[in-house]
Amino acid sequence: MKTRRLVFIAFISIVFNCSCKKLTETFGGNLTTSQVASNPANTAALLQGVYQSLQFTFTSHEVIFPLTELTTDAGIAPTRGTDWDDNGILRVLHQHKWDANNIYMSKGFNSLSGTVYAATDILRYNPSAQEKAEARFLRAWAMYWLLDLFDKVPYRDQGESVNQPARVRKGPEALEYIISELNTVMPDLPDGPVFKANRYAAKVLLMKCYLNKAVYANRGNPNPSHDAVDMNKVISFADTVIIKGGFSFSENYFHNFAPGNTTLSRENIFTQLNVAGSTPDNVLHSAWFMVFHYHMNPNGWNGFATLSDFYNKFEAGEKRRGIVYSTLSSPLNPGNRINVGFLAGQQYDLTTDVPLNDRTGIPLIFTPQVKNIETEPNLEVTGIRPLKYFPDFANRYSPDNDFVLFRFSDVLLMKAEAIFRGGTGTDAGSYGDNATSIVNAIRTHPSRNATALSSVTLDNLIDERGRELWWEGWRRQDLIRFGKFLLPFQEKEYQSDPKYLLFPIPAAQLVVNSNLEQNTGY
Amino acid sequence: MRSLSSIIAYASAAAIFFILLISNSSAFCQQKISGVVRSTDNSPVDGATIIVKNSTRNTVSAADGSFSIAAKPGDVLIVSSVGMVEKKVQVNEQSFIIISMTFNVASLEDVVVIGYGTAKKKDLTGAVSSVSAKDFNKGIFSSPDQLIQGKVSGVQIINNNGEPGGAITVKIRGNSALSGTGQPLYVVDGVPLDGRSLQAGNNPLNFLNPADIASIDILKDASATAIYGSRAAYGVVIINTKKGQTGSTKLDVAASAGVSSILKKIRVLNSAEYRDAIKYYAVDPSFDKGANVDAMNEILQTGLQQNYSIAGSGGNENGKYRFSIGFLNQEGIVINTGFIKYSADIATNLKLLKSKKLGLDFHLNSSQYTQDGSAHSTGFGGIIASALTWNPTDSLKNADGSAKIVPGGSVNPLVLSKFLSDNLKVTTLLGSISPYYKFSDWLEYKLLVSINYSSGISRSSKNQALNVYPFFPQTGEATIKHRELITEQITNTLDFNKEIFDDLHLNAVAGYEFMKFVNKGFALRGNGAQPAGFGNYGLDYTNYVQFSDVNGRSISSYIDPSYELKSFFGRTIFNYKDKYLLTATFRADGSTKFGANNEYGYFPSFAFAWNVSKEKIFKIDLINSLKIRAGWGKTGNQEFPPGSSQALYAFQDNGSIIQINSPNPDLKWQADRQYNIGIDFSIFNNRISGTMDYFSKTTTNLLFPSPPIQPAPPASAVRWINLDGEIINKGLEILINGAIIRKEKFTWDLTVNATFLKNNVSGLPGPVYTGNVSGAPVEIIQNGLPMGSFYTRRFLGLDKSTGPTAGFSIYEDNGTFYVVGDPNPKTLLGISSTFRYKKFSLIANLTGNFGQDIYNATLMNLLNVGGIKGRNIALSVYRDPVREDLANPSQSLSSRYIEKGDYLKMSNLTISYAIGDMAKTFKGTNVYITGQNLFLITKYSGFDPEVNIDGNINGIPSFGIDFARYPSSRSIILGISFSL
Repeated sequence: MKTRRLVFIAFISIVFNCSCKKLTETFGGNLTTSQVASNPANTAALLQGVYQSLQFTFTSHEVIFPLTELTTDAGIAPTRGTDWDDNGILRVLHQHKWDANNIYMSKGFNSLSGTVYAATDILRYNPSAQEKAEARFLRAWAMYWLLDLFDKVPYRDQGESVNQPARVRKGPEALEYIISELNTVMPDLPDGPVFKANRYAAKVLLMKCYLNKAVYANRGNPNPSHDAVDMNKVISFADTVIIKGGFSFSENYFHNFAPGNTTLSRENIFTQLNVAGSTPDNVLHSAWFMVFHYHMNPNGWNGFATLSDFYNKFEAGEKRRGIVYSTLSSPLNPGNRINVGFLAGQQYDLTTDVPLNDRTGIPLIFTPQVKNIETEPNLEVTGIRPLKYFPDFANRYSPDNDFVLFRFSDVLLMKAEAIFRGGTGTDAGSYGDNATSIVNAIRTHPSRNATALSSVTLDNLIDERGRELWWEGWRRQDLIRFGKFLLPFQEKEYQSDPKYLLFPIPAAQLVVNSNLEQNTGY
Repeated sequence: MRSLSSIIAYASAAAIFFILLISNSSAFCQQKISGVVRSTDNSPVDGATIIVKNSTRNTVSAADGSFSIAAKPGDVLIVSSVGMVEKKVQVNEQSFIIISMTFNVASLEDVVVIGYGTAKKKDLTGAVSSVSAKDFNKGIFSSPDQLIQGKVSGVQIINNNGEPGGAITVKIRGNSALSGTGQPLYVVDGVPLDGRSLQAGNNPLNFLNPADIASIDILKDASATAIYGSRAAYGVVIINTKKGQTGSTKLDVAASAGVSSILKKIRVLNSAEYRDAIKYYAVDPSFDKGANVDAMNEILQTGLQQNYSIAGSGGNENGKYRFSIGFLNQEGIVINTGFIKYSADIATNLKLLKSKKLGLDFHLNSSQYTQDGSAHSTGFGGIIASALTWNPTDSLKNADGSAKIVPGGSVNPLVLSKFLSDNLKVTTLLGSISPYYKFSDWLEYKLLVSINYSSGISRSSKNQALNVYPFFPQTGEATIKHRELITEQITNTLDFNKEIFDDLHLNAVAGYEFMKFVNKGFALRGNGAQPAGFGNYGLDYTNYVQFSDVNGRSISSYIDPSYELKSFFGRTIFNYKDKYLLTATFRADGSTKFGANNEYGYFPSFAFAWNVSKEKIFKIDLINSLKIRAGWGKTGNQEFPPGSSQALYAFQDNGSIIQINSPNPDLKWQADRQYNIGIDFSIFNNRISGTMDYFSKTTTNLLFPSPPIQPAPPASAVRWINLDGEIINKGLEILINGAIIRKEKFTWDLTVNATFLKNNVSGLPGPVYTGNVSGAPVEIIQNGLPMGSFYTRRFLGLDKSTGPTAGFSIYEDNGTFYVVGDPNPKTLLGISSTFRYKKFSLIANLTGNFGQDIYNATLMNLLNVGGIKGRNIALSVYRDPVREDLANPSQSLSSRYIEKGDYLKMSNLTISYAIGDMAKTFKGTNVYITGQNLFLITKYSGFDPEVNIDGNINGIPSFGIDFARYPSSRSIILGISFSL
C-alpha cells in the first residue's frame, strides 16, 4: 500500500515537473549573434540599419541641427514667453553658454557614436567587399562629425565588449584615421546612388578633412592657418567630383530639398533617403514643424528663426532667399505667396489667401527682429523663418524629402576657398580656374539668380557659403574655419570664450568611460 | 437629482433581482430562536457563523451580534468566528439566547499565510501584518489594494491618479528603487503575479474582485520575505481569497450603489477675475469673450457607481466549495470615463480517498474589465488640461448646445471628449490546482500548478474633426494594441510538522519551484487616407483601420525573450515550549535574466522570537502577552528586462536589422539586507495590544539603467548594470489597538498606526537624474540625500524693480541648482476608529502622509501667467504681489512650483445598521452608508496631494510629481448585505 502511494506521488511530481531542466533563454522575436551570423543575407539588413541610424541624427531638429546652426549667426531658438523655454537649454546655444549637461550635446555624441557602433559591428558578420566599404565609409562619416564637434572619437574593434571603456582617438590622430579609412575603402565604393555611401561622397568628405585640417590640429586656436598642400588636395578631389561625378546645378535651387528630391536634384552627392510611407520613424517633418507657426499649414511648433543680419546678406531678387514653389499636392497658393525659403512678413492661408493671425489674434507677420528671450507684445510672430524643405503635403506622416548631407555647390565653394587659401587654381568643368569665377558660376546660375561678385574676399566667401548652404549644418564649421565663430553677432553681443570652439564631452559619458577626457574649459 | 433617483432605481432593481433569484428553502416548522453573540468583554461579535448541528440551517450574526435561526429544543448551535474560540450551545425552551464567546488571546491563534505555508500569529518571528475582511476599508473599490490603504504600518499606498482602475504606488518600508517599479511582489493564493500591468497607468490588481478577498497579509521584513528570494526586495503582499465553509449552502449577497463627485478643485480664475486680470496685465481686451463659463464643471459629472456580488459556499468536511460573481460599474467623475468589471471565482477544497489523506484544492478566477477614457483625459492636451486652461469668458457651446469648435483656437475640452476615444479591455484568468497528500500526521506533500493569463486590448482613435487644432492628425488616427501576459508555475512542497523532542516542535518546508513568464503583443496604427480621411460615418475608426492611408500606417509585434525561474527553497521553524522560536529560511533562485556568470542567487534569513510573557518570572497580571522578535535576511530584485545579458538584434520595419541592447553578462540581482527588531504586546486584559518594529534596510548592487559606454548600439538607450552604492531605509513602525470602551450597548475601538521613515543614498559613483518635467529632470539621486530629492533653481520671487527685468523670475545665484525638496514622506499615519451602539456602528478611517514635497507641474506648465492671453491661469499666480511680466519664461523648472504635500484624509466613514434577519429569508442583514474621501486637509493647491505621475527617465522612477492628473473623487455609497 505504502509503495503504491509513493509511486503515485512520484508519478504526479514527474509528470508535472518534466521541466526539471536547465534554464534556457530563448528569443522569440529577436535574433542572437549566432542567428545573425547564420544567414549571409543578414549583412544587407544590418547595413540598412546603419543607414537608418543616420535618420534621426541628421534629420531631427534636436540632435546635430541645434549644434551646427543655432550656435551661429544664422539660427536662434527664441524663448517665446512660456513656449520654447525648455529650461534654457536652447538659449545657451546661441549665447555660447552651454555646459556638459546639455541634452543636445549628449544626443549628438550618442547618436553619432551609435552609427560608429553599428558600422563596426557589421564587420564581424563577413560582409561583401562593397558592404564592408559602405559600412566603413559610414563609420568614417560619423567619426568625422564626432571629431568636428567634440574632438574625441571613441571606438572599439568589432566584437569587443560594450562593457569595457572604449578607446579614444583625438584630434589629428582621429583625422588621420578617417582619411586612411576613406582612402582604403574608395576602390570598393560604388559610384552611386547618392543615398548610398559612394565614391564621390567619400571624396567630398576627404575635402572636408583637408579643408579643416588646420582647425583640427589645434582646437584652441581661433585663427587657424591653412597649408597649401592640404588646399591642393581639396582642389584635386573637387576636380575628380566635377569631372567624373556628372553633377550640375538643379533647375530649381529648392528641388534639392523638395519632396521627390531623389530624382529632382542634380546637385545632391550624398543624402539620407526617405521614402514616403516606408522609412521608419521619419522625422523629416521637423524641417517645417520647427519653424512654422501653429496656424500655418502644416501646423508647426512656432520655434526657430534666423536673424536679420543673416537675412540681409541676401540680395532682394535672389532665389535662394525664397520663392513660390508648388507640388502636385501643395495648396493652390492663389496669392502667389513665397512659400519656401525665408518666410518673412505677413503669412497667409495658402488655400484661401486669407491673412493669418497668431493665437492671440494679432496678424501673423514674421518680423526681422528677434531676441533670445522675446518680450511682449509680439511673442509669437518675431523672427524670419527659414524653410529649406518644402513640405510633402501628400505624405504628411512620412515625407518623401531626402535629407541632404553633401551637395555639389559645396564642392565648388570648397574648391574656391582652397584656391583662395593658397591652393593652385585648376580648370575643371565650366566653372573657371579661380575663386571668383567659381563662386560667380554658382551665384549667377538661373536657379540662384544673384549678381556676380567683383572679387572674392574672406568676408564675402564665408557670406557666400552662408547664402548657398544656409541651415544645411555647415555654418558652425565654416565660421570656425574663418575665425568668426567667437565674434559677437546678433543676440550674442560679445566675444565668446575659445572653449566654445568645441562642445563638451557629455558628463554621463565621462562617468562611464575613464578613457574620455573632458575638453578644455568645461 | 438625476443621480439620487438613479441610485434609488438601481438599488430597488437590485433588491428585486435578488429576491427573484432566491427560492426560500428554510420553511421548516421550527421554533424561531433569536439571540446575540457577544465576546467576553461584552462587545458584539459581527459575522459569527451559527449552524444548527446536524442540519443545513445556518445564519450569520449582524454587526450588533444579533441573529435568529430556526431551531427546536435539544438542537445544538455551533458558533464560530475568526479570532474566537468556537462554542457549542444547546437550545432549551428559551426563545432568546445570549452566546458569549472568548477571544483567542488577542487573535494570536489566527492563521497568517507566510509564503509556502501558514503560521499562527503567535508563532511569527518576522514583521508580518495581516488585515482580514472585517477590518477592510468599506466602499466601492476597483481593486483590493484599496481595502488596506492606511491600515498597515510601514506601507504607503498611493492612488497615483483619481481615475477608476488607475495605477497605484505601493511602497513597503520606504523608497529603494533606483529602477523598475519598486512595487511589492503580489501573491494570490500561492500564485505570484507577474507584476506588470497590461497598460501603463493601470493597476495590476484590477482583475480581482475585492469582495472575494478574505485577508491580505503583508510580509515586510527580510526574514519573512526571503522565502521569495530574488523578487522580494520590495516586500510581499499575499492576497488570500475566500474559501468555502462547512455547512449547507449559504449565499452572501452584497449590493451597493453610490455617487461620486470631485474632491477638490484647482482654483483657477473665474470669469470676473479673468476680466480683472485682462486689465491688470494690460492685454488685448478682446480676450474677454463675454460669457461666464466654468469649463471644469462642464467636463465633470456625478459618477454613478454600482457594485453587486453574490457568493455561494458550503460543503462538509470532505468537500467545500465557494463560487462568486461580481459586477462593478464605476462611472468616472470626468465625462466619458469609467470602469466596468465582471468577475467570477470558483474554489473547491476536496478531501479524497477513504483515508482522506489525498486532498485537492482548485481555484479559478476569471474577470474582464474595461476602462474608458483614461488615456485621453490626462496629460498634455488631455481633457482635464484643456478644461483647466479654458478661457472662463468663452462659451464652450454654440447656441444650439453643440460643442463649439474654433479652428486654430484653444482646444475645447468638450470637443476633445467627443472626438477622442480610448478603451482598454483586460481579460484575466487565474487558475490553480493543488493536490496534496498526507503521508502521516506530520508529513505532507503538495503540488501547485497554476496559470495566470491576461490579455489586454486597447483601442483608441482621434477623429479627423480635431484637425482644426494644432497637433492633431489631419485625417484622423486609429490605434489598436494587443498584449498578453502569461505566467506558468509549478511548485512542489514537502511539509514537516512534528514535535521532535519534548517541548521542541519543528515545522519545516522544503520546495522546488519552476516559473515561466511570457509577454507578447502587437500594435496597429493607421492615419486616414488623403484627403478624405476616415470620413464622418460616426463609427469608431478602430473598427475599419484598413480604410487608412497606406503611407500612414505602422504595424509591429514583439515577444519578450523568455523569462524562467527555477528555485529551491526551505524553511524551518523551531518552537521550544512556545517560548523560544527560531526561524531560518533559504532560497536559491536561478533566473534566465541573470548573466551567464551569475545564474543563481542565494537568499538566507534568520529570525528569533522570545515570548517573554511565557516566562514565569515575567508573569505580570497586567501583561497578557509580550513577544520580542529579531530578524535578519537577504532578498533580491530582478526587475530588469529579460535578454539584458546577451546581444539581441531586432527587425525594423524597413527590412533592416539593428542591435537593440548593450548586453551585460555580469548582470545579477539587486541585493537587500534588512534587520528588524520588533515587539508584540497585549496588556490590560487584552484591551490594548500593539506592535512596534524598527528596521534598517540596505540595498546594494543597485540595478541601474546606466548610459551605455559609447560607441554603443544606436537603439540601446541604456546598459543595465549593478551600480555601486547603497540606498538605506530606516524606520520605526507602531501599531496600537485599543478597546477603549466595552459596554454592553456601546463599544469603541481605536487603532492607530504610524510609520517614521528615513531614506539616504550613499556610495554612488555620480549623481543620477530623473523626474522628467517638460523634458528636463527635476529630481536627483545623490550621495547624502534622500532618493529623488528635488534639485533645481531656487526661486526667490519676481523682480520688484521697475527696470527692464521687472516682473521676471529671480533665482538664487542666477539659477544655480540646489536641493530644494524631498518627495519622500517622513511620517505615514493611519487612524481607524469603530463605535458601536446597539445596532448602529460607525467606522472612521483617516490616513495621512507628512513631510513630503510635491512638484506641481500642472501649475507650472498649464496655469502660469503667460496663459492670460486667451487661456486661464491659477489664482495663486494672479494674486502674486508683484505683477509678473507676460514674457517671463515662467515654465522654467524651479522651486516656485514645489509645494508641501502634507495631508490628512477622511478616507472612509461608514455608518451601518444591523437589521439582523428579515423575514425568513434574509439573514444577518446589514445596511450602511459610506463616505469615501469626505474631507481632505492640506495646503497643496493641486487636485490631491495623494499623487504620483510618472516622470521616469530611462526607467529610473520619479516620485512626487503632479501633472494634469485625473482629479480625485468623493463618494457617498449606500449598501446592503445579507445572507440566504
